[in-house]
Amino acid sequence: MKRAAWFVALVALGWSAWDTGADPVRFVRGLPWIFDILGRMLPPDLRVLPAALLGALKTVEIALLGTAVAAVLALPLGVISARNVAAPPLFYPARVVLNFFRSVDTLVYALIFVAAVGLGPFPGVLAVIAYTTTSLAKLYSEAVEGIDRGPVDAITATGATRLQILRFGVLPQVLPLFLSYVLYRLETNIRAATVLGFVGAGGIGFYLQTYLRMIDYPAASTVLLVTVAMVMVVDALSSKLRERLV
Amino acid sequence: MIHVAGLRVVLPPAAVILDAIDLTVRPGEFLVVLGRSGAGKTTLLRAINRLVEPTSGIVRVAGRSVTGASASELREARRRMGMIFQQFNLVRRARVIENVLAGRLGYVPSLPSVFGAFPRADRELAMACLAQVGLATMAERRADKLSGGEQQRVAIARALAQQPSVILADEPTASLDPALTGSIMDILRRINVERGLTLLVSQHQLETALAYATRIVGLRRGRVCFDGAPGEVTPAVAEAIYGENG
Repeated sequence: MKRAAWFVALVALGWSAWDTGADPVRFVRGLPWIFDILGRMLPPDLRVLPAALLGALKTVEIALLGTAVAAVLALPLGVISARNVAAPPLFYPARVVLNFFRSVDTLVYALIFVAAVGLGPFPGVLAVIAYTTTSLAKLYSEAVEGIDRGPVDAITATGATRLQILRFGVLPQVLPLFLSYVLYRLETNIRAATVLGFVGAGGIGFYLQTYLRMIDYPAASTVLLVTVAMVMVVDALSSKLRERLV
Repeated sequence: MIHVAGLRVVLPPAAVILDAIDLTVRPGEFLVVLGRSGAGKTTLLRAINRLVEPTSGIVRVAGRSVTGASASELREARRRMGMIFQQFNLVRRARVIENVLAGRLGYVPSLPSVFGAFPRADRELAMACLAQVGLATMAERRADKLSGGEQQRVAIARALAQQPSVILADEPTASLDPALTGSIMDILRRINVERGLTLLVSQHQLETALAYATRIVGLRRGRVCFDGAPGEVTPAVAEAIYGENG
């Protein structure tokens, strides 16, 4: 059995290597070109810094707005997707919806929304909302499923309504977790939003793609450096906040 | 005050937890249910307010049908029954006063309460209940900052805030330091004597039960095996309740 599993895994990997044309020799031959591009990126062209910063700001706005709206929209969806609080007729369809929409990446949503509402940051915001709502709902529902039953029993025993039980028995237990998930999503959304510009959905990615197409590597490297700085700053802020929550 | 007839609880797939329980608790009694762990004490208490759904049988509390009650009738019946748990079951991250206020949830309008709005009279009542268990100065503390004994007193205050006719206490001292057992049981006795509240308390400790109860019911393998005054609990009776044989 174990031997068979190893065999299958090796065949699968071997096939993948052959079918993708993975070739270490080709990679080594290409290495000098990577250094060549890196060399041509230096020094960064700081004249495009204002544009890059503006693009970065747009990207942060897209992620911030999209995550905030999704954090709220995911609340009801998360509750009805939790096995221990939702009735089965709600729970099963909700889970199917979550898994369906979660399987599509933000970038794919961006393509659809650009086609629907036109170019610019707005379809980017919509794309972030579409993906984040379902992925947060999934995380929310898992947090709800992990709660301590005791306080819920105690609130139920007071004669509370279902809504009150959720508010006083469930919410206080999951709220810090929810906030921590939202911050974590904000971090990943900043990263996801950096490439939204590639498909016309606004933000810093637009500048990166433009300068790369124009073969203006010094300008592109400025944009890249701004992107890295932006992601690092948001990550640091967000993890500081998350530490305080738990 | 509490009337139980023919109560049977079968948990899936086929575990008979309680069977053929007939029990009438008269107003003002301090009734202690004795039994080994697994005898069905907890299930009996939880079946009375339907935290556990009875398989068959009748439960009436303070003249109201609990079994067969609609969702809103059940909530109305529940608010007349305070419940105290072995693990306190406070909302740990909430403040002490908020935990006590939860005892008013069955009385206050649902929607405003969800937004934290409680009528002034209810807030005053909650403070008074907290004062009764000697914790008035702890109102603003977070519940999980309190010691175990204090947390259980908060739980008692929450039950009192329901202005109940009956208090169900499930092993209220089992997870406390033995030195604290007396202080919690003393509070329960005071409630019983001063307010004339009917108490149904489960205990596995014989000495504590005999010291506080006005009536003892022995439970063994889900059936009542003794029902009488504490003075009637002879070594033979104790053996029948706790003994390894039979």
